[in-house]
Amino acid sequence: MSWVTAALRSSVGKKFVMGITGLFLCGFLVIHLAGNLLLYIGDGTVYNEYAHKLHSNPILLFVAEVILFAGFLIHIYLAIVTNRENRAARGVRYAVKKTKREDRTVNLFGWTPDTTMFASGAVILGFLVVHLSDFKFGDIVHGERIAGLEPADKARILMSDAIRAGIYLVGSIFVGIHVSHGFWSAFQSLGVNHPKYNDWIRKVGIAFAIIVAVGFGSFFVWGISGGEVDPAVEEAPVGSSSVLETAPPRPDQYTQK
Amino acid sequence: MPAHKQLNLTLRVWRQPDAGSRGEFRDYKLYSVSPEMSFLEMLDVLNEQLLEEGEEPVAFDHDCREGICGTCGVVINGQPHGPMQGTTTCQLHMRNFEDGDLIVIEPWRASAFPVVRDLVVNRSAFDRIIQAGGYVSVRTGQAPDGNAILVPSPDQAGAMDAAACIGCGACVAACKNASAMLFTAAKVSHLAQLPQGEPERKQRALQMIATHDEEGFGACTNTYECEAACPAEISVSHIARLNREYSKAMLTARQ
Repeated sequence: MSWVTAALRSSVGKKFVMGITGLFLCGFLVIHLAGNLLLYIGDGTVYNEYAHKLHSNPILLFVAEVILFAGFLIHIYLAIVTNRENRAARGVRYAVKKTKREDRTVNLFGWTPDTTMFASGAVILGFLVVHLSDFKFGDIVHGERIAGLEPADKARILMSDAIRAGIYLVGSIFVGIHVSHGFWSAFQSLGVNHPKYNDWIRKVGIAFAIIVAVGFGSFFVWGISGGEVDPAVEEAPVGSSSVLETAPPRPDQYTQK
Repeated sequence: MPAHKQLNLTLRVWRQPDAGSRGEFRDYKLYSVSPEMSFLEMLDVLNEQLLEEGEEPVAFDHDCREGICGTCGVVINGQPHGPMQGTTTCQLHMRNFEDGDLIVIEPWRASAFPVVRDLVVNRSAFDRIIQAGGYVSVRTGQAPDGNAILVPSPDQAGAMDAAACIGCGACVAACKNASAMLFTAAKVSHLAQLPQGEPERKQRALQMIATHDEEGFGACTNTYECEAACPAEISVSHIARLNREYSKAMLTARQ
């Protein structure tokens, strides 16, 4: 066994990679949220421009998506492997189990973010399937053909459905719960722990969790309230909407699959 | 509650004749328990009662009964060493319980700590982790000059914090993954902070983690239950040092 496989198979090594991929995915969340928040600017033109820019270089996009998917897959794979090993390590389960830590603020009947990472991760994975089938591979959503539409209109149609928007709200909250432990925990797994900055990491982690949950969750409100920011857009007749007029012409390479 | 008021208790104790057989909980009534008794003295009284009734006494581990060795560790109402912080089972007193309480007593639950009998588990997996690298090699012969190698006071204090680990296994019992990371970290961190630990530093981290994993302990999820359950109050910052030691050793060790 080479030293690389030995490292990746060890308990410490697996948690190290878990932490690295987790922080990478946190970085992705920041960029994703920043991009989404552009929906709140004007009538969606800025968001559309951003989306088209993002898709303008197919090679770069492909490489970025491969890295992103790899990050997700490694993180999920390690979660499944460590979860199985950790359950085997307990063997016979306790009849009664009670924590000796009384300092956890987020606590629902003894369920805390740190003890339910696998479950919250599984919910997020389920949400991701819905999310990707909607925005990436989506074609027809409640009777309307969305493939080929401008990104902002696509988002508007998808999120106007209360059940769909509700799924996105739940997804956002679970991502927030997951990173509320995951963010600072990654630093501990990487060996970053010092009284000088421990408090800092904790506070940034909590702020990050709230920003992620509220930021992504806000599109639930945006969606069910019609997805309109500018009331003038709502009054424009369908077909000749100002959204389409102000949007830049779309070259063929922008066409969604 | 006045200190002299006696307690009537129901004890739900894990009974298992040997490693191979299936265990089960058995309920015992115990009357007039003095609140001044330690938890182990209470178990002694239970065993007296069981002997009189012709039943096998409950097997439980104990050695010093002074809160030093930690051999007495059992899980009491779901908490390793009971409800107190920084305390071993033998230093837990019955005044912390109420009259009429149901007390559930279980052994440490971990695949790496098989039950020997009732509440006694085999903790020799810890010995094998120590044997893998939790030592420094020294020459035999005359005792070396104690002041030959100077150790800065903060380093010495940091090493002593880690060396306070008594190896009782409460960290494993408390961890949802039955991970022995706090125990292993305490040993690695102890010697990593001293010049005497330097020559074997890299091999120590690599081999102790390899043995930890082979023994079947879980990985660390950073719930910090171990730190809260530890009678010696070992800090999880030692786990972070272990993580640093391990990654450094992985990248730079010659083998």
